[in-house]
Amino acid sequence: MEEKNQILEEHIASEYKYGFVSDIDTEFAPKGLNEEIVKFISQKKNEPEWLLEYRLKAFRHWQTMTEPKHWPHLHYNSVDFQDISYYAAPKKKATVNSFDEVDPELLKTFEKLGISLEEQKRLVGMESKIAVDAVIDSVSVKTTFKEVLAEKGIVFCSFSEAVQEHPELVKKYMGSVVPFTDNFYAALNAAVFSDGSFCYIPKGVRCPMELSTYFRINSAGTGQFERTLIIADEGAYVSYLEGCTAPQRDENQLHAAVVEIVAHRDAEVKYSTVQNWYPGDKDGKGGIYNFVTKRGICLEANSKISWTQVETGSAITWKYPSVILKGDNSIGEFYSVAVTNNMQQADTGTKMIHLGKNTRSTIISKGISAGKSDNSYRGLVRIAKGAKNARNFSQCDSLLMGDQCGAHTFPYIEIHDKTGVVEHEATTSKIGEDQIFYCNQRGIDTEKAIGLIVNGYCREVLDQLPMEFAVEAKKLLSVSLEGSVG
Amino acid sequence: MSLVINQSPVERLTAHFEQELPSLYGDAALRREAMATLREKGIPDRKWEDYKYINPAALFKQPHVAQARVGLEIKPEAVTLMVLQPGSALAVVVNGELREDLSKLDRLPAGVRVKSIADAVVSDAVAREYYNAVNGTSADPFVLWNNALNKGGVFIHVDKNVQSEVGIHVLHISTNEVAAVSHPRNLFVIERDAQIEIVESFETLGPVKTFTNALTEVVVHQNAIVDHYRMQLEGQVGHQMNTVNAVTQKGSNYRTYTFTLDGAWVRNNLNIRFSESHAEAHLFGLTMLNGQRVADHHTIVDHAIPNCMSNELYKGVLDDKSLGVFNGKIFVRRDAQKTNAYQTNRNILLSDDAQINTKPQLEIYADDVKCSHGTSTGRMDEDALFYLRARGIGEAAARKLLVRAFAEEVVTNVPNDAIRAYVENRLDHFFN
Repeated sequence: MEEKNQILEEHIASEYKYGFVSDIDTEFAPKGLNEEIVKFISQKKNEPEWLLEYRLKAFRHWQTMTEPKHWPHLHYNSVDFQDISYYAAPKKKATVNSFDEVDPELLKTFEKLGISLEEQKRLVGMESKIAVDAVIDSVSVKTTFKEVLAEKGIVFCSFSEAVQEHPELVKKYMGSVVPFTDNFYAALNAAVFSDGSFCYIPKGVRCPMELSTYFRINSAGTGQFERTLIIADEGAYVSYLEGCTAPQRDENQLHAAVVEIVAHRDAEVKYSTVQNWYPGDKDGKGGIYNFVTKRGICLEANSKISWTQVETGSAITWKYPSVILKGDNSIGEFYSVAVTNNMQQADTGTKMIHLGKNTRSTIISKGISAGKSDNSYRGLVRIAKGAKNARNFSQCDSLLMGDQCGAHTFPYIEIHDKTGVVEHEATTSKIGEDQIFYCNQRGIDTEKAIGLIVNGYCREVLDQLPMEFAVEAKKLLSVSLEGSVG
Repeated sequence: MSLVINQSPVERLTAHFEQELPSLYGDAALRREAMATLREKGIPDRKWEDYKYINPAALFKQPHVAQARVGLEIKPEAVTLMVLQPGSALAVVVNGELREDLSKLDRLPAGVRVKSIADAVVSDAVAREYYNAVNGTSADPFVLWNNALNKGGVFIHVDKNVQSEVGIHVLHISTNEVAAVSHPRNLFVIERDAQIEIVESFETLGPVKTFTNALTEVVVHQNAIVDHYRMQLEGQVGHQMNTVNAVTQKGSNYRTYTFTLDGAWVRNNLNIRFSESHAEAHLFGLTMLNGQRVADHHTIVDHAIPNCMSNELYKGVLDDKSLGVFNGKIFVRRDAQKTNAYQTNRNILLSDDAQINTKPQLEIYADDVKCSHGTSTGRMDEDALFYLRARGIGEAAARKLLVRAFAEEVVTNVPNDAIRAYVENRLDHFFN
């Protein structure tokens, strides 16, 4: 409890804990978006011809599309896509082999973020292991644990590196789950993506450690367009973590990422996210626009994809991690905690597309709204014709703290096969006065009681997170809701 | 008149409107405004979130023919067959116009008035006050279309403190020699402490495709109790858009029962707004679909005020190649504290080709509320079926029994014995 108070105090003092700018020389692309910029990015990254073609095709398609503003329950000023720099790379490009060669400024940045690479390195050979692919402003700077992973045949590297070294894999899978025609932001990303992570787990390999990417938006006026591709071959298993923090910026920054997951026969991928980007100040000034397309496909039988997310940051969140259940007996899961405070807006949820026989999906979504925020769950469960004995269970609970916020539920349920069984439940409530009274009566003050109740409310989801993340997520929840109850 | 081949649906609609306008009753300015807004908004298609699963664009492309010139003659015997409840007063509306010659309104007690809305907006202060008042600024294309082109319908007014023992049956008949659109327009105003039961039923006569764009406004004053039934019984040629916009005042109780038992294409927009506290609304719906029929229920319960209660139960049984849609929205506005809102939607698919799309939607801006919704869809419970068969009941009979039991949860809430018996009878014949 002492520790928590300290966190709260720090939070009040600093407003946004991760709001600092690290002084690293960056190389910018000029502002604006046109074919030249797309070519510039591709050229900078020394990409093969087919990838440039892909980018250009995506860009041309993007030009025919319109921003999806009419259906999400979000209100914001449109993004001026010509006022963004689409490429920012640290000048001292990381071609380092040991930590000593890494820019010391960069290391400091990580220390402030709370993930010290040294710490990670020291952990090699110990039980808890996380491999980190650190991404600062779109370029993967340093991939740790690469050698350890290479022994198992696991490829875990930056996307650009994968393009150079494993073009056949990238070519085969890129865009196979999220084609550039999918939506406005996916098209944009396909045209201008700068970097991201690539992960391939070969047949029958169980990845011995949790893989992790840390995204961070650093330079002002740059958008970040990473692209992540995870492939689990037959019988493989991987648990992947993604965490995000960003420094404080006044103008809104755009983040349009694409994550694709492919799970082959008997494979399992677990993807966990803790997202804590700058949400803007109390009056809704600044903050990140988070428009992300995340989708996995259970390509073959008995595969499983599980999404777990804890969303506490960003001014605007537009994000629907989805699973296409194509293989028979495949399983999709979605566990989410979304917290909005002050002027934040979130429209998030999932899509479970049942195509194969005996496919199952579970959706557990916990929304918490405080301040003047709006928090929406938007989810689709589709049982296609021929998806025999498909089964879905969804539960969407909303918790309201204060009378100025909103909690909304938009579940779309489309059933085209009579053998499908779908259940959906949703409740909306506030923290019960009797619950608080009960805590007070036992000597727990109201602020702590709320922390306790909220953590209990989210437990189903937090339990899904890997241990290292769960601790951070619990802290984040308390910090995000500080001061929201009078 | 020259025929322009490439006229768009909107242009044709406009031309038809200009032609009809001089013969239409009431405020021409209101009609023009509605038409202008409709032109501006355009005709809804699948891209409209509210019309995502059914494509209503085709309905606007129907030939626009003046109704009066195409109606078939209706015999009183035909009307008798459509009476659901012999004891109640009967108002017959043919192609959107009240036909007093076919109606039986002399049974009504003092204080209950039923008349043509076209007359009422001229002669009756209450009708003038509330006409189009509940619609407000609705920009729904079907509301606008009705506003622009309706030729009448029924105005029902129940004086304060009148608790009518006699119900009112409003029988809507669509019948044409050529395919055409009608726009029945109703206004029900129930004054304080009054009570009434209103049964609307929708039927078609003849083999020609009809489209009925009905719009009903309901005003329930303080402490009034209203039971509002909609019996959708149009045959295989019947296409229906049915909008009900209701506003309820303090302590009132508005109960709606929607039975979609027949009709090729049915879309219901049921919108209830609480304008004062301590009011209740109950929404019950039962949809039985077979063949290639389509039924789409959109409901909105708008808790604009604290301390109100709403309860919604919609069930659907879908067979053959039918398509069902349910979109239930509960809207709890800022400061509408102590709201209790419950919603349940359950569906059974009996065939591999049937489809159901459901979206139970909550939009909540107040924290001291209890809101929940639940939906489930599945096939018939195989265990229950096995249980019945193990006890010597044949499969067909067992299925029938289970569907009946499934529907019963809605039917049992119907206070009117005649209606309940009628629905149960229809249920028994659903599989034949």
